[in-house]
Amino acid sequence: MLKRGTLLLLWGLTLLWSFHSGRLDLLLRGVFHSLVGITGLILLMLGVALLLKRGQRDERWLWHWLLSGLMAALVLILPPSPSFSDLASNRPQGLPDPPELAFVLPPEQRSLTEWVRYLRSQPDPDLVTGNPVRISGFVWRQPQGPPLIARLTVRCCLADATPAGLAVEWPESFTPKTNQWLAIDGTMSVQSRNERRIPIVIPTNITSIARPERPLEP
Amino acid sequence: MPPERLDKLATAWAIFQGLLLEAIPFLLLGVAIAGLARWAVPPGAWIERLPKNPVLAPIIGALMGFALPACECGNVPVARRLLASGAPMGTAFGFLFAAPVLNPIVLASTWAAFPDQPWLLVARPLGAFLVAILLSLLLVQLPETQLLARALLEERRMSQPLGDLGLLQRNSGVIGGSLSSPRSVSGRRLKAWQVLDQSCREFLDLLALLVLGCVIAALVQTWLPRSWVLAVGGAPTASILALMLLAVVVSVCSSVDAFLALGFAAQITPGALLAFLLLGPVVDLKLAGLFTVLMRPRAILITAIGASLGVLLIGQWINLWLL
Repeated sequence: MLKRGTLLLLWGLTLLWSFHSGRLDLLLRGVFHSLVGITGLILLMLGVALLLKRGQRDERWLWHWLLSGLMAALVLILPPSPSFSDLASNRPQGLPDPPELAFVLPPEQRSLTEWVRYLRSQPDPDLVTGNPVRISGFVWRQPQGPPLIARLTVRCCLADATPAGLAVEWPESFTPKTNQWLAIDGTMSVQSRNERRIPIVIPTNITSIARPERPLEP
Repeated sequence: MPPERLDKLATAWAIFQGLLLEAIPFLLLGVAIAGLARWAVPPGAWIERLPKNPVLAPIIGALMGFALPACECGNVPVARRLLASGAPMGTAFGFLFAAPVLNPIVLASTWAAFPDQPWLLVARPLGAFLVAILLSLLLVQLPETQLLARALLEERRMSQPLGDLGLLQRNSGVIGGSLSSPRSVSGRRLKAWQVLDQSCREFLDLLALLVLGCVIAALVQTWLPRSWVLAVGGAPTASILALMLLAVVVSVCSSVDAFLALGFAAQITPGALLAFLLLGPVVDLKLAGLFTVLMRPRAILITAIGASLGVLLIGQWINLWLL
């Protein structure tokens, strides 16, 4: 009873801390956050109830309980810090549908993901040439060619993260580092690469920024 | 350690946390509902009213999943209780094999994980229903003595009227005793505290398996070369077989397996995805141990082979339809 109570308490704390510390923003889509918080609270209460229950004989530790307790402690003390570039490279690029009715925003108000969605629905990239661009994202290393600026979208959790990337004409004076977060102001243009005409961002200003609090987009 | 490897390790750790934290609420919900069902609906006289028709019995059993929603681990004790109380074999096996999928919690988690694939919400319960009927029809061909675990068989016979069985078949009895006095195996309601205690233990046992499954899924997603995944995942039959094997090894509960499948879904055929979601709730390494309280080894083998063939056929058909 004591051991099970302790384990439930530990898992409850782990879930509640994950909810409270904001690390869920890095792991799950927003709609699931409160579910994790409520579950943490229930586990915490169950743990306390088992610990307070007296008059029961105690049981021995089982190896799988020990493993689970060790993992809870590790989750508690080691926050997630994924490489967004690695995540993006391991995923196909089929973007999920927009979460609600999509309006075509003015170009300067579009996020990177909205730009990518718009360009995929718009087969002729020449139509956007000259449009102003104000986007932010991380540097996504490519196996061949220059890196892209990208964001990850999730339907559920990090395991199904899907990248949305845009080509950038990086200035010679700037070397983008993989996983570095950047804000880019510039204009949209079109270039021919591998016999294909692709949209490309011509930056006028590149600023290094901290990783946003909510780096995943729906 | 080289920075690239450190990056991969950090990514695997984050994917693991994402999968686990997403799945734990659904696991708790599944265990809680199974516990509530155990407490509120003790098997009683209603068992005698269940149909004994070989086709109707498994259908009723399969549909009982909606009333007693739990993952496969929660269902094994319920199915055992049904069999021990004298329920028709088809009903108990229909329940055992279909209820882990045909229940609102599992359908909700499947929808939460794959909101963009509505066909799964129809194909998964329908496939599970077909596999459960197939397995029930196969298993009831065996005589009870070759099908049920010895202890369960004795318990079941104690609850059957002496009009149906002789004293020797029961291995016990008093000559001259009443013919119509089956022992009430489980008519009494458990105390709320007992149920809470059992459910906490069940939750912790299943949580350890979930942790293991999430570790495997995160490592596979981060380290398995994408070219391998694409080579196997893109081939219709090979992808189904690979994901069936994975379902057997990973042994994760049906209430959360959809979240694990998310880790592979993008790289595999739709038939393989469905095969993973259908086979895991019926056959996996963890269940092999649990099933020994219900069935003899031969019956477990028939279950494993029958389910694998059924799921392979369904997966192939889905690939033909969707690819």
